Amino acid sequence: MTINGETVKRITQTTLDGGPALPAAARTSLSEKVRHRLLKIITARESTLGAVVILLVLYLSWASPYFFTAGNLTVVGRQIALALLISVGMTFVILIGGIDLSVGSVVALVSVLSGEAMVNAGLPPVVAVILALAAGALVGLVNGSINAFAGIPSFVVTLGMLAVARGLSLGISGGSTISGFPPGFLYIGQGAFLGIPVPVWIAAVVAIVAHFVLTRTTFGRHIYFVGSNEEAAKLSGIRVRRVKISVFVVASTLAAVSGILETARLSVGQPAAGNGYELLAIGAAVIGGTSLFGGVGGILGTALGTSLLLLIQNALILLGISAYWQQAFSGVIIVGAVALNMWRRQRN
Amino acid sequence: MVTHPLIAMRGIVKRYPGVTALRDVSLSVESGEVMALVGENGAGKSTLLKILAGAARADEGVIEISGETVQVHSPRESQARGIAVIYQELNLANDLSVAENIYVGREPKTRLGTVDFRTMERGAAELLSSLGIDIAPTEIVGNLNIALRQMVEIAKALLIDARVVVMDEPTSSLTEEEVETLLKLVRQLRSNGVSVIYVSHRMREIFEIADRITVMRDGAVVGVRDAKTTTPNDLVHMMVGRELEDLYGVRTSPVDATATPTLEVRGLSSGKLLHDVSFSVRPGEILALAGLIGAGRSDAAMTIFGAAKRGGGEILIDGQPMALRTPREAMDAGIGFVPEDRKHQGLFLGLPVRENMSSASLSKISRLSLVSRRRDRDLARQYAKQLGIRESAIEVAAGTLSGGNQQKVVLARWLARVPKLLILDEPTRGVDVGAKAEIYQLVRKIASEGVAILVISSELTEVLGIADRILVMREGYGVGELAAAEASEKRVMAMATGVQEDVS
Ligand SMILES: Nc1ncnc2c1ncn2[C@@H]1O[C@H](COP(=O)(O)OP(=O)(O)OP(=O)(O)O)[C@@H](O)[C@H]1O
Ligand SMILES: [Mg+2]
Repeated sequence: MTINGETVKRITQTTLDGGPALPAAARTSLSEKVRHRLLKIITARESTLGAVVILLVLYLSWASPYFFTAGNLTVVGRQIALALLISVGMTFVILIGGIDLSVGSVVALVSVLSGEAMVNAGLPPVVAVILALAAGALVGLVNGSINAFAGIPSFVVTLGMLAVARGLSLGISGGSTISGFPPGFLYIGQGAFLGIPVPVWIAAVVAIVAHFVLTRTTFGRHIYFVGSNEEAAKLSGIRVRRVKISVFVVASTLAAVSGILETARLSVGQPAAGNGYELLAIGAAVIGGTSLFGGVGGILGTALGTSLLLLIQNALILLGISAYWQQAFSGVIIVGAVALNMWRRQRN
Repeated sequence: MVTHPLIAMRGIVKRYPGVTALRDVSLSVESGEVMALVGENGAGKSTLLKILAGAARADEGVIEISGETVQVHSPRESQARGIAVIYQELNLANDLSVAENIYVGREPKTRLGTVDFRTMERGAAELLSSLGIDIAPTEIVGNLNIALRQMVEIAKALLIDARVVVMDEPTSSLTEEEVETLLKLVRQLRSNGVSVIYVSHRMREIFEIADRITVMRDGAVVGVRDAKTTTPNDLVHMMVGRELEDLYGVRTSPVDATATPTLEVRGLSSGKLLHDVSFSVRPGEILALAGLIGAGRSDAAMTIFGAAKRGGGEILIDGQPMALRTPREAMDAGIGFVPEDRKHQGLFLGLPVRENMSSASLSKISRLSLVSRRRDRDLARQYAKQLGIRESAIEVAAGTLSGGNQQKVVLARWLARVPKLLILDEPTRGVDVGAKAEIYQLVRKIASEGVAILVISSELTEVLGIADRILVMREGYGVGELAAAEASEKRVMAMATGVQEDVS
C-alpha cells in the first residue's frame, strides 16, 4: 500500500507521537528528502497498525491452508469492502466529535427497500438503487438536522434512529425476507471485474475519494476544525451546522451503499441485515487512530482498522472457532485494541 | 547545621520531539519567600513547573524538598509533599459547584460513605471567606467569570495545606482590581510561611510582590536577582537579550477626523449584558474599550462580530447599516476578531499551526474548494515570518506552542484576511514583553495602513499606551469616552468602577 506523504505528515503532527520532529526540509538534498519521508512513514501511527495487519496475513497464510486461496480472499475482500464503506462514513462523523449508531439499521432499511422496489414493485434496478440511496441520505439528513439544530447529542439522536430505521424495515417487510432480484442487480454484489470483486472496487474508490476530501478540500478542513474546536470554528466563519449535517448524510449514504451491495451479494432483502455493524465501524475507526473526541484521524487508519477486524473474524472461522463465540471475541478485541491505542498515545 | 532551601530543582533537562524545552535548569526557593519566574514565551517556565508538579517528567535532574531528594511522578505525589499548583489553564469542572471543585478528590464522607455535602460546603465557605472571596460555595463554577474561577482554583490549592503554592500566570485574565486582591492573597500566604512561585509577564506585579526573581531564556536560567536591587529594564534586558525602548510605539500620522467611520455602533444592546452602547472607529484609529471584567466589553465585541444575538441598535460599516447575524456575515463585511479565550474560542489545539492560520482564509488558498497546499504553506510562512514565529513551528500542533506564540497564530489568522476592522479582545493576555511590543507595533502598523482597530484590554497601561480614544464601560453601559491626551489611569478607573474620586 502506498502511503501518501501528506497524510502521514498530518498524522505525525497532530498526534505528536511521531519520533524526532523534522527540521524544515525546504532546501535539503533529494536523498535526504527520501530519508525524511521514510522516517515519517515509519514513525506514523498507521505503520504499527499496518505491520500488525501484514503479520496477521503472514500468520494466517502459514497457519491455515485455506487462507491464501482465491475463494477465501474473495470472501474476505468483499467483507472488508462492505464494512469499509460504513467505517469511512463513521470516520467522518467521529472526526467532528459525533457518533452514528444508526448505520446498521440503515443497511437493513435499504436492504428491504431495494427488495420492495425491485421485486415487489418491479422497478428497474437503477431506479431502485437511486431510491434506496436517497432513503439513506434522508436518514442522514434527519440525524444531522436534529443534532445540529436541536443540539441533541448525536449519540441520542442516532440511537433513536437505530430503532426507527430497524422498525421501519421490519414494518415494511412484515418481518420476512425478500428474494427474486434481477441478475443485473446481483452482479454488483457477486460479480468481479478484472478478477477483483465489484464491491472491492467500489469501496476502494470511495475510500480514496474520502481520503482526498478529508486531506485536500475545504470541506475536509471544515470537518477537522469543527471536530477540533467547534467554538473556534464558528468564530472562524465556518458554517458549523452545515458541516455537521453533511457529515451525517455522508455516513448514512455510505451505509446505504453498503446495504445495497450486501443485498446484491446475498440475493435477499432482509430486515435483520446490518445488525451490530455500528460497533464494527466505530471499532475500526478508533483502532485506526481516529479520536472519539474529534479532530484527529483519517481514512488510512480506518482502512487498516477495518481490515484488521475482519481478518481476525476470518481467522476465527479458519481456526474452527464456533460462530457462537465470534461476536464475543470481536467485542473483546475492539475494546482491547482501542485501549491499547489510547495507552500508546498517552505514554507519548 | 546546614539549612536547605525548601525546594531545590537541579540540572533539570526536558526534551520534547524537536525542541529541548529545558536545558540544565536549576531553581531554588526558600520557605516563606515569593520567587518570581520570568522569561519570554516558550522560555520553559510552565514546563519547569509541570515537572515540579509531577505533571511532566524530567529527562534529567533532581528535585529536593528540604534537602531530601524526592521523586514526583504524579500530581498526587506532588500534592502529598505540599506542592499546590495553579496552572495557566484552569482545571475546574464547570458543571459542579464551587465547594465540589474545591474538595475534588478529597470529599469528606458521612458515616454511610456518601459525600458529606454539608461539611464540604461549610469548609468551602470558611476557606473562601478567609481569603476574602465573595462566592457562594453552592454556585456552579460554569456561571462564574474567569476571575472568580481563578479564585476557586486558588482556594482548591490551599485546601491541601500547601508549603509551596505555584502560580503560573495567575493574573493573565484578571483586571487591575482583581490583581490587587490576588496580590493581597499572595502576601497573606507569605506571612503564613508559605512559599510562592509566581510566573507573570507583568513587570509591575513582579516588583510589587517578589522577593527574588529567576529569569529564564530559551530553556535556561540566565540569572537570579534580588527584587530590591534590580529594575524592570534590567529584567527585560535579561529576558529578551536586547533593549526595548518603546513598548507601545507612537502614532506616526494623525487620524483623519473627517473620514466616514469604518465602524459605527448606535444604541447596541444584547440581552442583559449590553445596554444602549454607542461609539465609532475611523480608518486608522485605535479605540480601546476599558472597564472591569463583566463590564460588557467582550459582549460588545461578540455582538458586532455576529457571534452573540443583537437585541437592539444599529451597526454601520463604512456608513452602511449591516445585519451581521453570523460571524460569516461579519467577516464578509471586513471584520476580523481575535477572541478573548484563545484555547476555547481561538485555536484548533490539535491541528498544525499552518491550518490554524489559514482557517479563516480557506477561500483564498483554494479553488473549487480544492485547497492548494502550496498557497497554504506560503500563507503560513509569510505570517510566521511577519509575526516572528519560527518556521519549524509551522507544522507542529498549535497546542504545543507557548501562550504568546499561540496568540500570534490567532492574530495571523485575521491578518491573513486583511480586514478593514480588527477587533482584538485581550490580544496580549499571557504574552511576554518582547512579543507584546511586537504585537503592538504590528497593530500600529496595520492601523497606519487604514485598518480601524477596536481593542479590549484589562491592562490599563496598555490601554493608555496604545489607544487614540478610550470608551469606558461599566455594567453593560458606555459610561464615557476619553481622548488619549486627557486619559489617566485614575480617571479611567474612576469611570470603570463608578467611584467618584477627585480626578484633578
Ligand atoms: N507537550 C509539548 N510538546 C512539544 N513541545 C512542547 C510541549 N510543551 C511545551 N513544549 C515546548 O517547550 C517550550 C517551553 O514551553 P513552556 O510552555 O514551558 O514556555 P513558557 O515559558 O511557559 O511560555 P509562556 O510564557 O508562553 O507560557 C516551547 O518551545 C514549547 O513549544
Ligand atoms: Mg507558560
